[in-house]
Amino acid sequence: MTRIRVLFSVAAAAMTVGLWFALTAPPDSLQGEYSRIINVHVPSLWLAFLAFGVTALGSIMWLWKKKQRWDRLASASAEIGVLFTGIGLFTGMVWGHAVWGRAWDWGDPRLTSTAVMFFVYLGYIALRNAVDDPVVKARRSAILGVVAVVQVPLVYFSVNLFRTLHQTQSIRPDGSTMPAEMLIAMLVNVVAFTILYVALMAARTDVARLEEANRETELLAGDAVKPPKLSEVGDV
Amino acid sequence: MSDTAVVAGVFVISYGMIIAYSVYLHLRRRRATTRS
Repeated sequence: MTRIRVLFSVAAAAMTVGLWFALTAPPDSLQGEYSRIINVHVPSLWLAFLAFGVTALGSIMWLWKKKQRWDRLASASAEIGVLFTGIGLFTGMVWGHAVWGRAWDWGDPRLTSTAVMFFVYLGYIALRNAVDDPVVKARRSAILGVVAVVQVPLVYFSVNLFRTLHQTQSIRPDGSTMPAEMLIAMLVNVVAFTILYVALMAARTDVARLEEANRETELLAGDAVKPPKLSEVGDV
Repeated sequence: MSDTAVVAGVFVISYGMIIAYSVYLHLRRRRATTRS
């Protein structure tokens, strides 16, 4: 069994345990069944923040060391971060529709800043696909990876800095505002999503490594069979 | 639609997105392995 298969098996088991906790935790007295969405919404966005932090770290390390593995780490983490942000936005919209009576509000700082972060990292992926040269691609995306991470604290603290529909943090340095059973269920899901992130990262970086190796082989093979220029061919 | 059905739908779609991405990575990795 390969390392990636083992990681995915552990992640699947952890996600199953997380789902069980999410579905058996007591519902909120006001929000009812909708409160269960917190078990997907919060872990996915926390992991998105972590993923974009790892992208920034990989980007800084690439700019410093110029080693391809840092570029693979940064790009893989950005792609997984976009997936988790997409899940966070979707779950938040359904939850908001039920609790606030509206799925979206462009005037809301938390919602809008999260959407901007989502589109900036989609742009990061688009940028990588638009450039063919691996060094140029790595340099441009590394610069964007370092600049874009500024959004993470802005999104996280937007509920404290601005007037917003979104509630403030449930877990603070002075304790939690959540009942213990709901908090445990959410934290179990945070652990499960973290294991999933590690498994996805292992698979995504491996795909990038294999594709880079294939590309190098194809380029070398392409050079080997490259036909001579007409000017180089003498009279036959 | 009942609240339970909506919440169940949210879980199905969210987990579905994760599973779909995992399958996509698996297929891409298999294709890259075959070509190498």
